[in-house]
Amino acid sequence: MSGFKRDWNGNAKKRDGPRPPPKQAVRNAYTPMFENLRNELDEHYDRRERIVKASRDITALSKKIIFSLQRVRKIENQLPANIQAEVDARLAEIAKLLAALAPEVQGINRYRYARSLLCLEELVEALTFAHYLRTQTLVSLAELSPVIEDLSRKGAAPEDEVMADAGVDTAGNAEKPAETPTVSLTQDDYLYGVFDLTGEMMRFATTSTALTGTMASSGAGGQAGGGGAAAADDDDDEQPRTIVQDMHELGTLFEMLPVAAGNRFAWGKKLEVARQSVQKVERLGYDRIIRGSERPKGWVPDLSAADQGPGDELE
Amino acid sequence: MAPPMIDPALFGELKSKIEEDISVRKELDQILDDLEQHVSFTQGLLSRIHSTPRSKYATLLSEVEGGIKKEIETTGRLSTFASQYPYYKYNHKWTRTVQDAISTVILCAWLGGMSPASKPGEVGRLLTLEDVGEAFGVPVNLKDRDAFHITIEEYLLGLIAVIDELSRLAINSVTLGDNAMAVQISGFIKDLHAGFQVLNLKNDILRKRVDSIKYAVKKVEDVVYDLSLRNLIPQESQ
Repeated sequence: MSGFKRDWNGNAKKRDGPRPPPKQAVRNAYTPMFENLRNELDEHYDRRERIVKASRDITALSKKIIFSLQRVRKIENQLPANIQAEVDARLAEIAKLLAALAPEVQGINRYRYARSLLCLEELVEALTFAHYLRTQTLVSLAELSPVIEDLSRKGAAPEDEVMADAGVDTAGNAEKPAETPTVSLTQDDYLYGVFDLTGEMMRFATTSTALTGTMASSGAGGQAGGGGAAAADDDDDEQPRTIVQDMHELGTLFEMLPVAAGNRFAWGKKLEVARQSVQKVERLGYDRIIRGSERPKGWVPDLSAADQGPGDELE
Repeated sequence: MAPPMIDPALFGELKSKIEEDISVRKELDQILDDLEQHVSFTQGLLSRIHSTPRSKYATLLSEVEGGIKKEIETTGRLSTFASQYPYYKYNHKWTRTVQDAISTVILCAWLGGMSPASKPGEVGRLLTLEDVGEAFGVPVNLKDRDAFHITIEEYLLGLIAVIDELSRLAINSVTLGDNAMAVQISGFIKDLHAGFQVLNLKNDILRKRVDSIKYAVKKVEDVVYDLSLRNLIPQESQ
């Protein structure tokens, strides 16, 4: 605070009275307006921050689900118990996060924060992959939306109980779920999630083929799982559908869909990656036919460092 | 038998949704083409203020008001159409144009256009977000329902464009001999600059644009400095 200011005549300006601390914003006619706007903007920024945080956690959990699922070796009705347990535990965590997220992304805010909600793509990827491993089919958007809504409701359930306890009426539980806000799925979340699914299927096809010596298909799963009659029928008239055909179908789906106008760049990139995945699985199928015919039935590569894969098949 | 990998109905559903999205975008593009035309016409008219003495503002501004009227009409069309769809799904398509339209309205009003009958031609009136919404006949800062509106960010970005334009006007008004105008602009911009300091900004486009205000402030301060150095500041208007 040394020195002093001069006015344009060169006379030292006198400070009238002690000045308020320097950073105390000068108030003028517009200050109240800006203070209002600040409060509104802060609300938006804070909400976005919370969404981004939850989204990051959901993404991480979804990726862990996918890693667990990649330890599955064949397509069958039931995931192996240990893997199912891992998946369920992660899903329970995701449900809690979704429940916390749900009120923030209602109505107009759903698309406002769409870019901060990329976790939903990852979650779609995990859920569609799990569904594929169980049924060898692609779950549709209409089937998947209620699943995610259910998840957000489940995550909210404990809170509801607390709320109900606080209120007079404990029997109100039955009505509560109807009002619970849920996270809705957009078509883009779904499509981009399914794009990523092709990558996971490619990885699954590669490992399962390498470790079991057969192309993954529900027919193969049926033989091991005990659907004996059905499997025998399949052998007679046609080979069971394998993952190669499934990849082709998925690839065709995306090739035939019109390019989503929202983000042509991302679409193009995803499509390119999907094409590569399809071709990698094609190559696998080819190798199985050419070299597979030379290897004795039941032969699997000797992967002493590998996991349980060989043991199951050799008996 | 085992179900097919992909339910045949699924492709149709996905395809029709994407096609609907594409046609919405086409329709929006058409409306936005119109809006852009009206906005750039109005902006062009407004750029004449740099060579128009204050005494002739009234004539110029009535022309500008004509352009603004068309902006408002087209914005109404946009509002009706866009309100059928999630607002933020398509907001990025029009937000720039709407910002420009807002800035023409704010600037016109500041120069004394669109003024209430009680104070015709008064220079220095700042339209608030609510005033702008009223001028366009659309809601502002909607939170409780999903429809077309003007956002806070759009208003603030439009306002920053006005600040830039006024900093240019400060120079040209001095050229035209209207020193009082430069002084008034200086006060206005400084007040707004202080106002923007109140906001807690995040690292986004708004923050970037707000950071640019200081250059406008400096530009206008330099003009006022030149005037005061030569004792050219009109005393009575202070």
